[in-house]
Amino acid sequence: MTASKPRHVLGISALYHDSAACLVRDGELVAAAQEERFTRKKHDPRFPTHAINYCLGEGFIEPDELDAVVFYDHPLLTLDRVVHTALAGGEGAAEQWVRASRSLLGSKLFVQQAVRKALGADVPLFFTEHHAAHAASAFYPSPFERAAILTMDGVGEWATTTIGRGEGGRIELLREIRFPHSLGLLYSAFTAFCGFKVNSGEYKLMGLAPYGQPVYAKAIREHLIDVKADGSFRLNLDYFGFVDSASMTNDRFAALFGGPARTAESRITRREMDLAASIQAVTEEIVLALAAHAREITGCADAVLAGGVALNCVANGKLQRAGIFDRLWIQPAAGDAGGAVGAALLAAHGHFGVPRTVGARDAQHGSYLGPAYSSAEIRAFLDKHGYPYDHVPDAAARNTRIAAALAEGKVVGYVAGRMEFGPRSLGARSILGDPRRADTQTTMNLKIKYRESFRPFAPSVLAERCAEYFELNGESPYMLLVAPVCAARRLPLPQALDATDDMLEVVRQARSDVPAITHVDHSARVQTVDAADKPDYHALLAEFERQTGCAVLVNTSFNVRGEPIVCAPADAYRCFMRTEMDLLVLEDCLLDKVAQPAPTEPVDAWRTEYELD
Amino acid sequence: MSRQLFQYHPVTGYHFIPGLKCRVEHESGGYLVRVNGAGFRCEREVTPAKTPGTFRVLLFGDSFTAGDGVSNKHRYGDVLETLVPGVEVLNFGLSGTGTDQQYLTFREFAAGLEYDLVIIAVLVENIRRIVAHYRPYMSAEEGERRVQAKPYFTLENGALVPHNQPVPRDPIAPEALPESERGQVDQGGNLATLRKVVNKLGLREVAQKFTRYQPVPAYDRADDPAWLLMRAILERWTRELKAPAVIMPLPLYQHVEETADSDAWRARFAELNGLPGVTVHDPFPDFVRVPLDERRGFRFEHDVHPTPAAHRLIATSLAQTVRRFVEGAPR
Repeated sequence: MTASKPRHVLGISALYHDSAACLVRDGELVAAAQEERFTRKKHDPRFPTHAINYCLGEGFIEPDELDAVVFYDHPLLTLDRVVHTALAGGEGAAEQWVRASRSLLGSKLFVQQAVRKALGADVPLFFTEHHAAHAASAFYPSPFERAAILTMDGVGEWATTTIGRGEGGRIELLREIRFPHSLGLLYSAFTAFCGFKVNSGEYKLMGLAPYGQPVYAKAIREHLIDVKADGSFRLNLDYFGFVDSASMTNDRFAALFGGPARTAESRITRREMDLAASIQAVTEEIVLALAAHAREITGCADAVLAGGVALNCVANGKLQRAGIFDRLWIQPAAGDAGGAVGAALLAAHGHFGVPRTVGARDAQHGSYLGPAYSSAEIRAFLDKHGYPYDHVPDAAARNTRIAAALAEGKVVGYVAGRMEFGPRSLGARSILGDPRRADTQTTMNLKIKYRESFRPFAPSVLAERCAEYFELNGESPYMLLVAPVCAARRLPLPQALDATDDMLEVVRQARSDVPAITHVDHSARVQTVDAADKPDYHALLAEFERQTGCAVLVNTSFNVRGEPIVCAPADAYRCFMRTEMDLLVLEDCLLDKVAQPAPTEPVDAWRTEYELD
Repeated sequence: MSRQLFQYHPVTGYHFIPGLKCRVEHESGGYLVRVNGAGFRCEREVTPAKTPGTFRVLLFGDSFTAGDGVSNKHRYGDVLETLVPGVEVLNFGLSGTGTDQQYLTFREFAAGLEYDLVIIAVLVENIRRIVAHYRPYMSAEEGERRVQAKPYFTLENGALVPHNQPVPRDPIAPEALPESERGQVDQGGNLATLRKVVNKLGLREVAQKFTRYQPVPAYDRADDPAWLLMRAILERWTRELKAPAVIMPLPLYQHVEETADSDAWRARFAELNGLPGVTVHDPFPDFVRVPLDERRGFRFEHDVHPTPAAHRLIATSLAQTVRRFVEGAPR
């Protein structure tokens, strides 16, 4: 009997933001990566030639072995929405139309040509719908045979929010909310108004929220959004600019919140903190209401989430604790990049009928779907440039040294195994620190990340020790759930600091016995590390615990501000030398900063190389 | 952005990074590269003994043999295995090398192996590389021109004398070369500056057609020092073999497309037929049997490396000779 030919599908998301590619073989995720990691341009929207190249190389297949290429949205439907919006928006919409049509007519309608060029072959090209791709990215890799599906983002073609049901290999979308009524755009409007970049600064707004009080939540509910009991909503477009201008908000919006928008990089005031807290509170209410409705109409006990709003890990944590669903699974690349995964899986299961198998663990492979670099490659790179290193092939000896450095308060760049797919570093391309030290957060913020210091760092914790540190029900392998630090570990905030406008003063106050990862509201964005998903990182955490008694490490993405997370050894070395990291781990090679040759570029070269996010 | 493919080696200069598996971006879209544990772009691992019952061929050459521009399975060495049953090919092709480095590669990595036949593919341009002491390249990190020392031989009183052993590890800026060495960088042929300008203007093919530029004049005379060196290397190499050798000169695209004359290099290589244990396999007649207007398809639009079609032609041509050895081999 001859084995049947495997089904290969390449998924692509591109030409809006966070372009990515994904290769699926017989319904199994083989590879996925974002284009930005290769081009070193954050949120790179260009056609993902390099990511496609990587995926084909990882799968070691020729283009003619692909059964299909699937694009993550439908350009003609998007064009339909853009035309409708332009016609309805009157004179002010012209600018919007010009911008959108340039992208659509210039690129998206010619996806076929771009695919042919990248592959050097003609392969059948399919288009899926944006939210169907999100839904597929959430359901198919989940460990659930049957689940409710909730997708929420800025906008796809027309849909901005969908509720669906997945069962076996089938996905059905049951409800949708359409543009311009969008929870993602609402959140982005506040992101822009608070002086952060849309499509990347939402995370900062979420990090800012715990410093404020939701004093504007009432105004938001009364003026900006009408939320029904089932979670459906309508925006009051009188306050927004995204339909009829190039701005997210307008003068009425500003008037409602006491004046003009904050200028980027200027001082953050109490108003922005309260605005952040307010929109976060409203967002959480809507997410919970939508989830409750999804449970009601699908009858499913478990749920899966995707779309940019599903990266709001504070809302995710609240949803999990609300107990609406028994279990929750969130696509780690919940934003547009994950559309590549969904598009590929949708074609594999939905079109080609590849059977879906559901295991006890999810099928995302820890989201370690990107390139790995062997020890031989790394040593070839280091030798080529004459960078001094210690080759420590013995994993135990290596971990002993790394853990000891961390325990001494050193900051460690850690590159091990396949790169993560999605916006979070999960111990493959991470910067690590000691969470027990009061100065770790400040050090890592100012000397390594060069960013606003109000944002907390995330903890990685041994999965089996999680309950000793966090009030988290279940696991959080993808750092997509925020949970409270255990009450016994918390420290109170001095009364006098409660209402201060000076965030830095608040930040400097230890909030628990693992202060570097505890936010002002005693929360933490947790990554539970399981030995099955990431054995090397699990072993390092275990060694750190052996040496210090602490089973937690600070884990932040391996990049400087505005830089895509590092991918290749050369990216990691460059970032290592541009920052005040002390030790760089490149697989089994250890590089001590003090032993390295003096850098040849100016200390702040990164500032001119990367646009601040 | 591209992965590093090579690592330093003190004898040969470099080889592929062992165990590497990737797709290299290319104007064709890309091509799949898999490297064995010994550091060669070969689907087979290098083992001292051949697979029982097979006829083992060791294959040496430069990027035409290593397969720049095409996936492993499309290279003529791999196609040869499909055309001649029972043959296993260990491909030791190394991009950017001259016949001198290929000989050193044989000595360093293959001399002790069990084998039935050695094929030495000599891209005719290699005659220029063997006299060079350095090869230029553009550093990916700094975007600057660098030169990298290579091992080479000189012919002194009839004997080959090795130099640059071990090969200096660090690349250097061309202007840092000692005055006496500045002329020893392989510039890819004569009239380097003029060729660069012509290529930049996109006039390469027109210029080639009208000037009938001869890319490898060192073959014009049997006593040319470069040819004498090439011949000495091949003589010494084939003398050291435990099995017969096939020497296969590979033409440049100018020869294939008949914008440059091939008589001289063909005559020189034909002279090697008299060496003990050596068979010269000249694939040129098989190239020119293809209609002229189809031969442009043997190279890429910009990259002059052989396309899969050219590799297939070379394999088909070579298979005729290899079959004779396989059929004559003891079972």
